[in-house]
Amino acid sequence: MNKEVKLSVNNLKISFRTDAGKVQAVRDISFDLYKGETLAIVGESGSGKSVTSKAIMGISAVNSIHEGGEILYDGQDLVRIPEEEMHKLRGDKIAMIFQDPLSSLNPIMRIGKQITEAMLLKNKANRKEGRETFNKMLAQLSSMTMEALSAGASCEIPANRVAEYIKTFDNFNIQAIKMENSYNAARTAAEEMIAIIEDFLFLTEKNQKVDAVSALKLIERKLGDMNDQYFATGYEKVLEEHKAELASVKRIEKAKVTVADSIKRVVMMSAIKKDASDETAKILKGISKTASEMLARTKYDFFRIGYYVYKKPETDLSRMPAEEANELAYNFLTEDFMRSFMAMEKTAVEYSFAKALRNKENAIAVLQETIDFFKKGSFSEKEAEDACKKAITAVRAAIDCLAVIKDNVAYTFGGALEREVEKYFFYLKNNPKEEERFAKQTAKREALLAKGKNVDWEVIPKSVIEPEVQIEAIVSVITRVMNKFKADVEAAANFDVDKRCLEIIDYLKEKASQVVYTLTKRIAKEKAIKLMDEVGIPEARLRFRQYPFEFSGGMRQRIVIAIALSANPDILICDEPTTALDVTIQAQILELINKLKAERNLSIIFITHDLGVVANMADRIAVMYAGKIVEYGTANEVFYNPQHPYTWALLSSMPDLDTNEKLDAIPGTPPNMIYPPVGDAFAERNKYALEIDFEMQPPMYEVSPTHYAATWLLHPNAPKVEIPKIITERIKRMEERGGNYGEE
Amino acid sequence: MEKNNEVLLKVDHLCQYFRMGRKDMKAVDDVSFEIKKGEAFGLVGESGCGKTTTGRSIIKLYDITSGNIYFKGHRIGAGTRSYKDAIKRAKADYAAKKISEVDYKAIVAQNQALIRDAKADQKSVDKQHAATLAAALNKEYEEKMAVAANDPQLLKALTGEYKSKLRVARKSKLSTQIQMIFQDPIASLDPRMTVRDIIAEGMVINGITDKEYINQKVYEILETVGLVREHADRYPHEFSGGQRQRIGIARAVVMQPEMIIADEPISALDVSIQAQVINLLNDLRERLGLTILFIAHDLSVVKYFSDRIGVMYFGKMVELADSDELFKNPMHPYTKSLLSAIPLPDPVYEKQRTRVTYNPLAEHDYSVDTPTFREIAPGHFVYCNNAEEEKYKQLLK
Repeated sequence: MNKEVKLSVNNLKISFRTDAGKVQAVRDISFDLYKGETLAIVGESGSGKSVTSKAIMGISAVNSIHEGGEILYDGQDLVRIPEEEMHKLRGDKIAMIFQDPLSSLNPIMRIGKQITEAMLLKNKANRKEGRETFNKMLAQLSSMTMEALSAGASCEIPANRVAEYIKTFDNFNIQAIKMENSYNAARTAAEEMIAIIEDFLFLTEKNQKVDAVSALKLIERKLGDMNDQYFATGYEKVLEEHKAELASVKRIEKAKVTVADSIKRVVMMSAIKKDASDETAKILKGISKTASEMLARTKYDFFRIGYYVYKKPETDLSRMPAEEANELAYNFLTEDFMRSFMAMEKTAVEYSFAKALRNKENAIAVLQETIDFFKKGSFSEKEAEDACKKAITAVRAAIDCLAVIKDNVAYTFGGALEREVEKYFFYLKNNPKEEERFAKQTAKREALLAKGKNVDWEVIPKSVIEPEVQIEAIVSVITRVMNKFKADVEAAANFDVDKRCLEIIDYLKEKASQVVYTLTKRIAKEKAIKLMDEVGIPEARLRFRQYPFEFSGGMRQRIVIAIALSANPDILICDEPTTALDVTIQAQILELINKLKAERNLSIIFITHDLGVVANMADRIAVMYAGKIVEYGTANEVFYNPQHPYTWALLSSMPDLDTNEKLDAIPGTPPNMIYPPVGDAFAERNKYALEIDFEMQPPMYEVSPTHYAATWLLHPNAPKVEIPKIITERIKRMEERGGNYGEE
Repeated sequence: MEKNNEVLLKVDHLCQYFRMGRKDMKAVDDVSFEIKKGEAFGLVGESGCGKTTTGRSIIKLYDITSGNIYFKGHRIGAGTRSYKDAIKRAKADYAAKKISEVDYKAIVAQNQALIRDAKADQKSVDKQHAATLAAALNKEYEEKMAVAANDPQLLKALTGEYKSKLRVARKSKLSTQIQMIFQDPIASLDPRMTVRDIIAEGMVINGITDKEYINQKVYEILETVGLVREHADRYPHEFSGGQRQRIGIARAVVMQPEMIIADEPISALDVSIQAQVINLLNDLRERLGLTILFIAHDLSVVKYFSDRIGVMYFGKMVELADSDELFKNPMHPYTKSLLSAIPLPDPVYEKQRTRVTYNPLAEHDYSVDTPTFREIAPGHFVYCNNAEEEKYKQLLK
């Protein structure tokens, strides 16, 4: 598959410590989430859907034990990174919408504050992080170039000038950042001023209390702040005029304020209700219009102009219209600097890639050796440690540090391998103890039973791990990275150096602008209002100041979605977002999520138990039961060609509009996960259970390259079983209609 | 199910307003419908449209504002607001000299009489019911005692039996024949009572003191709803969601009601359990001949469960028809929008489903011609005005 994998979950196992024993909530699940797709996880409550999503968010309950597996995102293993790292991802890159909108909102905080809170905090963190990553990338680029040159690569820049070039790049970027900062400050002032004016006009229209004088003062100040030469160019005169107008209006409004009013304001701290005159409103509208015009103009490309100004500090490009200035700066930059810089960068990238490739080939050999070593079986702790070290160094050397999209598997390989090996030795030491305990307890219990006593406790099952099984786990970690490397080596011919170079420049630029981008409270408010509009909340400006209890259920859920989107995440996890809502609202929310997904190219994990909703949302579906994925496929495959009896049961237990016959209810309740069944967890409630279902867990059988199901019924020796009639009939009906309902 | 035309419950211009500051919040506004004996009547609509309020008004959890509720021909609920309003209007008209004094007095007298009637009916309905039961009991035992007059022992036993039954009869109310199943099985069960106490509470309140009899009944009913008698001594928290809802159902059914109001009985349950509860309700309906008012927002379930369906929108009933008819020929634009929002387990259909939105201001022009709830085809009622009625009738042809 050539889709970009955003998130991958491998062999995740999670349990909970409880008084009654260890509840195994998630037992060895794996799935990938691709960019821009919706993966639905379906199952009844207690099947481990929410536990999985919470593990991805890093908000597992305190009594949870992470027993194994990993969640890979952006070169990091989410279950193992420290909380500080997780802070950077949670809400920012991975956001979550919870089931109950009321309990995920703070009841005593206004909606607006809750939406803007995350934006403001994230903005601060982003600026810091941007600077760091920028510096790191540049340093890497420089060291790679030096290495390439010393290795004999040809380049038009001599080795002694590389440092100078890098320095120049850094310096003119600082220049650009300075200019952009100043420009942005003016821009921000303009935006804020528009916001204030909008607010002011809105309130006067609604005949609410406004303090005209202080509002005008504020506007005047913001008008003064819009004085950046690049921003104000061409508008200086108009701005002067506006200032004069504003001053006169302010005098008029001030005259209206009586002594009593001002006392009231000072003593009671309350705004004075005053009808701002039409004159004021008109002038404010005029100012707002000018500011909007100014904002709408083409932005200067400060990245390039920065270089121009850096080289020729005496020049002033602000006299020129933006397009011309951009053009000039662009040409100058390309001629004077960028061409050679790009050439240098290309050398570095080519060298780094070739080196990584060589190292990869080398690493594959080393890894193969390591596998053989572990498979051999008998090894001491010291030997294993050395083998690990060797493999890890080889893999680390094979990482291309100039790749913008990080290689998840390689980055997390070291930790994963060490952990598995450590586990092996831990169990080796612990197994005899555990065996002893188990034997002792069993003997005690049996002795009690033999005495005819009523024993109300069970023997805790022994938690031993067979060395062979653990070695297999070690080998699978190594194989995974090896396969990845092999695939990389094969794909090496398609490598596009120019694309990678541009990617790096874009990456640097993005990080630089991240440093510059400051968000003030007022702008955050405007952004939040825009977001509220986007998620379909009418009269957003008014509702911005309301409390959560003033909203209806559907509106609350929209707010929660707005909060989740406020940081512009990559991955959105929706944990039963519509279960608490009724059909019409549900349909609206689902449409909204679908729309946002298309607009922002979000990857969504959608958790629900409503199959109707799944059909609407999902590209792919994973059906979970008792902590395991029992069926996994695209939406069409799961709905039109279900394979697992549990999927059949789910499908047949809900009526659709044509169902008349008695429903096939699933008898009983899900198994107690403290003592999970030995065989297929669903066997006890399954009409079609075979004998082997009670004894052994079925493996995943492949139905088609995208469709897997874990049931013994797919085994070649299994008896042929008919899918329940209610489902076959429904599928037939659906196929006949081809999606046409309602028409006669 | 055989056709039965006996009307069990009749809701007549039911209004339920709630005070909100100076204004009234019209939770249910002029809703009328009938439920026939043995029928499952579905009530759908979005949250806040007054479905639950309607159910609660019927069972007299609220004092209704105006309108009447008839159960088995007896008026069990009556509101007086409409009469009071009529008096107020007449007063205003009289002050404005629009009507004569005679008319004014007549109107006032008439409405006051109606108010008196309503109050009296509400008060006496349970007394009457108890009196009829007691009379029937008297008659039965008079005969028995006459037969057993010569046997003092039997007579003593009979007298004892008669007395306890008479106590029950005197305490019984007509409204206990309507029982309710609540939405949230966790919140609706007292955590400090055992299942036995929960199920027996209704009987105890109704004056049954015989412990043996109560236990017998509890065990019977537990088995009816698919639990076992060992469960009687446990507490609600020891049960799963589906089992808790079964306890809720047992509590309602043990009073031998004629009618059950099921207020979203499955929305708080898990998928696999939902089917179990629906099947149970269907079984009980067949076995005990129950009439069910089924309130829900999941349209596929309502369609599956009910014979007739009423659609509510902002306190008004906008459409009422047989369930097949409603899904085949939805008339009111709101019903259409509701039906278009049902998600179905069919990806191809879902990907191309278009949702119809309902905007009452754009859809209807009620400025000239005010709408009422009228029958446009046999058994198919729609809330519409004259012009719309014509249009709908055309469409049906």
